[in-house]
Amino acid sequence: MLSARALRVTLPGLILGAATIAHAATPSPTYTLRPAHSSLTYTFTQAGAANQGQFKRFSVRFDPSAGTLVVVIDMRSFDTGDAQRNEVLGGADFFDVAHYPQARFQATRLRKTAGGYLATGPLTLRGVTRVVSVPFTWRLIGTPTHPAGLLDGQTVLKRLDFGLGQGQWRATEWLGNAVTVHFALRLAPAAH
Amino acid sequence: MLRNTTARWGTPAQLLHWLIALLIGVQAILGVSGVALPLGMAKLATLARHKSLGITLLALVLVRLLWRVVNPRPALPENLKRYERTLARATHAALYALLIALPVSGWLMSAARGFPVSWFNLVQLPNLVSRNLALYHLLVRVHVALAITLALALALHVAAALKHHFVLHDDTLRRMVPGWAPRDRDASALNKD
Ligand code: HEM
Ligand code: HEM
Repeated sequence: MLSARALRVTLPGLILGAATIAHAATPSPTYTLRPAHSSLTYTFTQAGAANQGQFKRFSVRFDPSAGTLVVVIDMRSFDTGDAQRNEVLGGADFFDVAHYPQARFQATRLRKTAGGYLATGPLTLRGVTRVVSVPFTWRLIGTPTHPAGLLDGQTVLKRLDFGLGQGQWRATEWLGNAVTVHFALRLAPAAH
Repeated sequence: MLRNTTARWGTPAQLLHWLIALLIGVQAILGVSGVALPLGMAKLATLARHKSLGITLLALVLVRLLWRVVNPRPALPENLKRYERTLARATHAALYALLIALPVSGWLMSAARGFPVSWFNLVQLPNLVSRNLALYHLLVRVHVALAITLALALALHVAAALKHHFVLHDDTLRRMVPGWAPRDRDASALNKD
């Protein structure tokens, strides 16, 4: 998909016309994250009760018309609000952040659904890659001069699919297998 | 006999007494072994069971107190000295207070740590306080101090029960045990003649 900028570069003599064409051909720009207004959290079941954690640093690139959605998470930025639990979760039996500092999701298919989109593609977490499908909604907010959008949704992952919990931590009675990942992302067109 | 009389505890009061006594024993073992275990799934499981059983005990004690107020109460034995009556009443009141304060302090402690409490993985209880580490450390000390106080009060309580039975030869223990008839005083008096 040609962006307005590519047209400008390839057709330097036709800037005015190219801008018009680009506007018609690319109704959406590439959006990137506005971290201050975004959250990526997860809910897990510990001893039968719902507990929360979050990632503080991650990046998102989203282009609905190109079908692009890439999320990269800095795994060292997780926090569950408890120092002792964080130490265990960051260690070799769980996230193993020393060896797997990054998690990544890349949609290979972005399908429009009744309520929003369904992104399907590989998720790599703790060195394990599995194809997951993530539903989300996409809502434009902001103004014509400051366009922005909200990408919201949640999906349930099974922690053991990704080796999150080794050895004694594989048991699921006191640490549930299902983990719900919630995301509320504020995106704005990437600066050119 | 369901209801208490002024001479004897009814079956519900007796069953609640012994059920709670048994569960307090299990509860203490779960608490102490939970603290002793290294960080891991076994510790998580043991303390989760401790919390669930502790909440169960709280409910049982409330039922027991409710049953107590809507029933007559057996009078303390006649043979007690004045200070012994006071001590008996004070110990019983302290036991009830501890049986409420212990689970409540545990519940608050967990909430202050930021770990919500679940009852046997079935019902999640509300966090009555929000995450506050200073409060958590304080409540751990309170919880342990209450547990030690309970152990001391129970030592006195059990010693008193045994004294009633084996030294004073009265019916105090018998009237708390389901199906255990009072001593037949007339018969024993006759035998002595
Ligand atoms: C964790 C263990 C126990 C707890 C929490 C406990 C608690 C209590 C309480 C609160 C009462 C007062 C009842 C009332 O006035 O409403 C009571 C009565 C009694 N308890 Fe226990 N108890 C325990 C164990 C025992 C044991 C092991 C014995 C016997 C060896 C015992 C013997 C008695 C007797 C005989 C009474 C009746 C006193 C009376 O009739 O005036 N208890 N117990
Ligand atoms: C009648 C009720 C209870 C009794 C008799 C009791 C007793 C105890 C005892 C003896 C310990 C071990 C203390 C030590 O060895 O340092 C303990 C620890 C503990 N209890 Fe309880 N408990 C009760 C209820 C609860 C409840 C309802 C909760 C939570 C909902 C709870 C949470 C805890 C926790 C988290 C610990 C570990 C504290 C630590 O990390 O040092 N307890 N309890």
